[in-house]
Order: sequence, then structure tokens, then C-alpha cells
Amino acid sequence: MGKVSPAKKTFSLAAIAAGLVLSVIALVMDFTGSTNSMRGTMLIAGVVILLVGLYELPTEKHRMIINIIFLLPLVFSFAVTVLLPFAAGIFYSMTDWNGVSLTKFVGLSNYINMFKSGEYLYSFVVTFLFTVINMILVNLVAFALALLCTSKLKGRDFFRAAFFLPNLIGGIVLGYVWQFVFNKVLPEFIMDGASMLSDPNLAFVAILIVSCWQYAGYIMMIYITGLQTVPKEVIEASSVDGANAWVTLTKIRIPMIMNTFTVCIFLTLVNSFKQFDLNFALTAGAPARIMGDNIYQATEFLALNIYNTAIGRNQYAAGQAKAVVFFVILAVVSLTQVTISKKKEVEL
Amino acid sequence: MKKKLVSLLLASAMVASLAACGSSGGNTSGGDNKGGDSKSGSGEAIRIINGKIEIDKQLKAFAKAYEEETGQAVTIESMGGGVDIQGQIKGYYQAGNMPDLFVIGGDGDFANWKDQVADLSDCAFAKDTDMAYTDDSGKVVGFPYAVEGHGITYNKEMLDKAGIDPATLINYEGFKAAFEKLDGMKEELGIDAVCSVAAESGQMYWSSGNHVFGYYTSGGQARDDKSIFDQISKGEFDDARLAQFGKFFELLCKYSDQKILISGTYDDQMAQWMNKKSVFITQGNWIDVSFKDYNGEFDSGIAPLAFTEEDMTGILADSPSWWCAYKDGKNLDAVKKFLDYLATSEEGQKCLVEECGMVSPYKSCKLSPSTPLAKSVSQYIADDNTYAWDWSNLKEGYAQRCIGGILESYAKGDLDNAGFVKMMKSQTKAYMNQ
Repeated sequence: MGKVSPAKKTFSLAAIAAGLVLSVIALVMDFTGSTNSMRGTMLIAGVVILLVGLYELPTEKHRMIINIIFLLPLVFSFAVTVLLPFAAGIFYSMTDWNGVSLTKFVGLSNYINMFKSGEYLYSFVVTFLFTVINMILVNLVAFALALLCTSKLKGRDFFRAAFFLPNLIGGIVLGYVWQFVFNKVLPEFIMDGASMLSDPNLAFVAILIVSCWQYAGYIMMIYITGLQTVPKEVIEASSVDGANAWVTLTKIRIPMIMNTFTVCIFLTLVNSFKQFDLNFALTAGAPARIMGDNIYQATEFLALNIYNTAIGRNQYAAGQAKAVVFFVILAVVSLTQVTISKKKEVEL
Repeated sequence: MKKKLVSLLLASAMVASLAACGSSGGNTSGGDNKGGDSKSGSGEAIRIINGKIEIDKQLKAFAKAYEEETGQAVTIESMGGGVDIQGQIKGYYQAGNMPDLFVIGGDGDFANWKDQVADLSDCAFAKDTDMAYTDDSGKVVGFPYAVEGHGITYNKEMLDKAGIDPATLINYEGFKAAFEKLDGMKEELGIDAVCSVAAESGQMYWSSGNHVFGYYTSGGQARDDKSIFDQISKGEFDDARLAQFGKFFELLCKYSDQKILISGTYDDQMAQWMNKKSVFITQGNWIDVSFKDYNGEFDSGIAPLAFTEEDMTGILADSPSWWCAYKDGKNLDAVKKFLDYLATSEEGQKCLVEECGMVSPYKSCKLSPSTPLAKSVSQYIADDNTYAWDWSNLKEGYAQRCIGGILESYAKGDLDNAGFVKMMKSQTKAYMNQ
């Protein structure tokens, strides 16, 4: 580093000190409820002066300091928008927080009560069933549509756009539109005038239908992109070798787009598990299902159950606990699924 | 050197813009206060979260007139139509952006805010009404702005045509006879069903679980008699009363439009009754405002959901929600003045009763509403023939999470009367002890 000018060192140390003092004063003012409107400016000015001081500091670690300074905006926004809320969420799930104030720390009792409650377990099972069935259904339909739209079909561009369109409509709007269809239109033709949404099992099927209708077009687009990456030469070579369409599909095209399957299965899995807007607008959990001595909301999926716990019952902390479990399940399932699928991918 | 200069300039521009954002934020709320600061008040607008979106326009007009009169600006923020109002207010609280006045719907909501509300006992309005919201120690903390009543609303023209006197609709037998008679006259009256009742549990639980079941909770009880309410809160029921309620609910369902009963929405229910395709609807005087969306007003009134064998002559009427003042609000005195003005001045009463079409909870108010159902509710109040809305103080989520589904299953026929009673008891016990 050669010579270090003492003036520069003094300047940078002074800047660091001044920056620290300014920002600490601003923070103290904020936490003590001061209404001085300069505190925001002070905080920012303090942080900037501190950074300038660090930047000018003559030291062996100059390069590392610069790396940190340049990473700071990103790390800071990630911390504020993701890490802090996440930590606060876990904290709140162990209290009796009601959205306004908390009076005590309750440890794990929110988690314990949650797994003792029948409605949560019911919701859990229903969501699991929905996720599995919806994932399979959406992928089958989407892959079939993709094959259709990559064939030599006339007007396939139109079909591509048409199948994709439902995905552009919001789930809430779709939910209310389809509620009208199930309540007013379909009963005119089938089921002797009764709405599908008033039967616990059929209401579940109704959500599956709408969810598939909405989502298959989007997944289809990904499959189309995948299918188009399969080199023509390989397909030609196989047809020269006498492979029929089915063999080409199962032995060449599908193995070659295994990574597309990973993406699609991952997307549908996660999205089915998180299903909320459609569920909320289409059935809002209804109808009721009687199981022995208990009665449950037949189509209340986990996300809606969390919402209803926090909002409907005003148990914000219990809802938060459910949300933490929701996150953990989602994380575990997704990671497992990605790891397994990755192993099966064919290297191109 | 040039590079350094540019970066320095950019950095200082960023700091300056951030600082500008920070300092301008605090002043905007008083922005459109056209020179009114000099007259009175702290100069900052009173901010109100109104939970009744129907009266948004009227309140805003009133707020404008009030500003012209006193120089105190008032901003109204209305929410409704499925918005989670309490959640929104909680968000404001977390963000340090608490309004001066906000709405609460009963004990459940109040429990969240009990440490945040101001004591309004010394306000003039508090002495002028019995329906103010009081906390445990008897302090007035909630400002009532309306009285609402609900029961089973009838189309008077059709009852007249069928020769049924609404005064007979005060017990089970009265209703049974009326329903049977009307059911036999369907073609003559041009109706599809006798009643429009909605018992779907996902989106209509508030009608079945709150309003209809509300009659079990306080129907026929003196306003300060909380014995049945206390029983339910402990998860217990009066078997005979519950069985009677069940029997009556079955009767209601039997004469209701079956599609609307098990899968109908509020719009379906309203459309049927408003278009004169049914005689009864289980809603209250808030549907007055909807007459204009259909075919205009017709002669109608509210009868009690008298499920008992004995006579039950009154309806459930109470203040549906209250405005609480935030105790750390900057202009609490201005807020109190505004509330007193709205409650006791002639202009304020005119706004609430004539403009908003509501029934005033204030004794000094001599104005009478012009809409048919509000008139009907006023009559019950004048006769001192009302029961309290105890249902609104039952444990939060009880209607939605517990009895909505049971009433739906009962309406669909999945449960019989005995099954209904049994299920109500076991589920309520579990819910209340949770």
C-alpha cells in the first residue's frame, strides 16, 4: 500500500465517528418517539458519511470494504423485505399477538393447539389431496395441449394464445365468474338443478376444474418451449431407424425435456399447495361436511384456513404459527422434489 | 477526478431526494385545508375510518359543510364490501398512521383496542343515547351513529293480498299458518317461493349465523338480560329453546327457495325479494338503500323471527358499530367537537337520518326516516320493543367458523332436528373452550 497519508486516515476516522454518532442519534430519536422531522435525513446522512469514511480508510482490507459497500444496498433490501419479516413472523407465532399488541410469550402452544384441532388437520388432508391431484391433472393436460400445439395443426398459434388466456385473468375474478357458471348455468343442464358447489365432493372437483383450466395454459407454454428445444436431427435419425410417434415421444422427446418437467412439476406443486384466491372466491370453504360428530368446511385449503384463523377469528398469532408450518412444508417438499428431479435430468 | 465529481453529485442528489421524501410526508394530510387554519382547531384534518361504505358520499358532504362552518377539515376514508376493516386498521396502527376515529363492531374488535381508545364520557352525545359503547369500567368509548334492526322482512302488499295481518307473526304457529297460506297462493301472488333465506356457509354465514341465529341469543330477552348469551359463551344451551329454534329454522327452510337456500349469494337473495318473487327475506333495514337498484320502494316492514311457541313481539335492534377515538391522536378535542356536532346538532341529525337513511340512536333527534324499513325499526324503538344485538359480542368467528356450517347442513337436510341440537352443542362447546 506504500505510504499512508495521516491526513487521510484522520479524515476517514473522523467521518466514521461522525456518521456513527449521527445515525445512532437518529435511531434513538426514532425509538423514543420523537417527532423531529430531521431524523430521517440525519440517519441517511449519517450512514452516507460512515460509508464515505470506510471507503476512504487507508487499510489492507480496502478491497473487502469496497465489496461490502457495493453489496450493501442489495443485502439491506433483502434483509428488510425478507429476513426481518420472516424472523418477526416466527417470533409472533410464539406469542399471543392479536395484530395490535402482545401481552405474553406462549412458547410452542400455538403449534401444539394447531395440530390438536380437527379443522386444521382436515384442511391439511384436503390441501394435500388437492395438491397431488391438481399437479398430475395440470401437467397431463398441459403436456397434451403442448403436443397438440407443436404438431402441424392448423391455426396452432391461435390455440396457443387461447389456451394461455385464462391465466391472464385474476383468480378472484375467475372464482366469481365460475361461481356463476356452477350456480346458475350448469344446474340448468345437469344434476337436477342442484349446484355442484353445494356438495362437498363436487365442490372439490369444481375447484380442480377451474384451477386446471386456469393454469394448464401457462404450463403448456413452458412445455412448448421445451419441446421446441429437441433437435430436429435426433427426431429425423430416429424416424430413419423406424421409430413410430409413440416411441419417439417416450424414448426421445420426454427424456430430452426432463428439465422442463422439473420446472413444471415444481411450479404446479407449489402453486397448488398455495392455492388461495380461487378457493376464496369460488367456495370460501363451503359447503360443510359432516364427519362423525364434527363438522368441517369441506373445501377450506391451508392458505384459506390461515387467513380465516387470523382474520375471521382474530387469532393472528395462531394464524402466524400455521403460516410458519406452511412455509416449512413448502420448503421441504419443493427442495426434495427438485433434488429428485435433477437426478433424472438428461445432460444435453 | 471528473468521475469522482459525478458520483459525488449523484450521491448528494440521492440524499437530497430521500430527505425531501421524508420531510414532505408529515405535512400532506393538512394539504387541502384552504386557509382554514386561522379559524380554529389544530389545523390538521380529522381522519375517520368509516365502516359503512353506503353512507360514504353523505358523510363526505357533511364533512365539507362542517369544514366551511368551523374551519376544521375532516377526511372520511370509507371501507366495506368485504374489506377486512379491522385488519386494515391494524395495518395503519403498525405503520404509525392511526386515524383519529375508527370503527369497531363489538366486544371482539374492542378487545384489540382497549388500550388505545380515548374516554368520551364528557362528550354531549354520551348523555343523549343509551347505545354508546362502554368499556368494562363504564366509560363511554364508542360513538354510535345508527340503529339497525333485523328480523324477517315482509312485503306488506302481498301480506295484505293474502289477508295476513303482520301482527300475527309473533310466534311459531303464526308463521306456520302464514307460510302455508302463502304457499298455496303462489300463482296468485306471482311468487317463486315464500321466503328468501340464504344459509350457504362460505359467503352467507353472516346472515344465517349472525342474524337468524341472533334471535336464539337474545330474542324475547330484556335488553340487559344476558343469561342466554352467557350460556352460549360457556358452550351451553337451553335444550328446549334450541329445539324450538331448530324447528322454526326447518320451517323457514321448507318454504324457502331451495337454490338460494343452499348456494345463493346475497345478490340472489335480494334480487328474488326485491323483484317481488318472494314475500319474506331474512335481512334488516340496511336493505332500504337497495330498493332503488331494483324496482323502487314498496310497502314493507320487519317482523321478529319469532321461533318460540310463546309470543315474541320485538325485533333485534342496536347500534351495529361504533366509532372509537384514538387516544394518542393529535386533535382529540376537535374530534370530540365533531362528534357532538354530528350527534346533537340539527345538521348532524339531518345528515344521519335524512341523508343516510338511518335511524338515529339519539334521544334529542326528532326527525323520522323516510324509507319503509327504517320507519319500521323506528316504530319498534318508539314502542320500546327491541332486543339487544348480543350476537355481535359472541366469540369472534363463531358464526363463520362454527355454526355457519351446521345451519347449512341442517338447511340441506343432512341433519335432522335432534342432530342439529346435538351438533350445535358439541361444536359450540369445542369452539368456546378453544
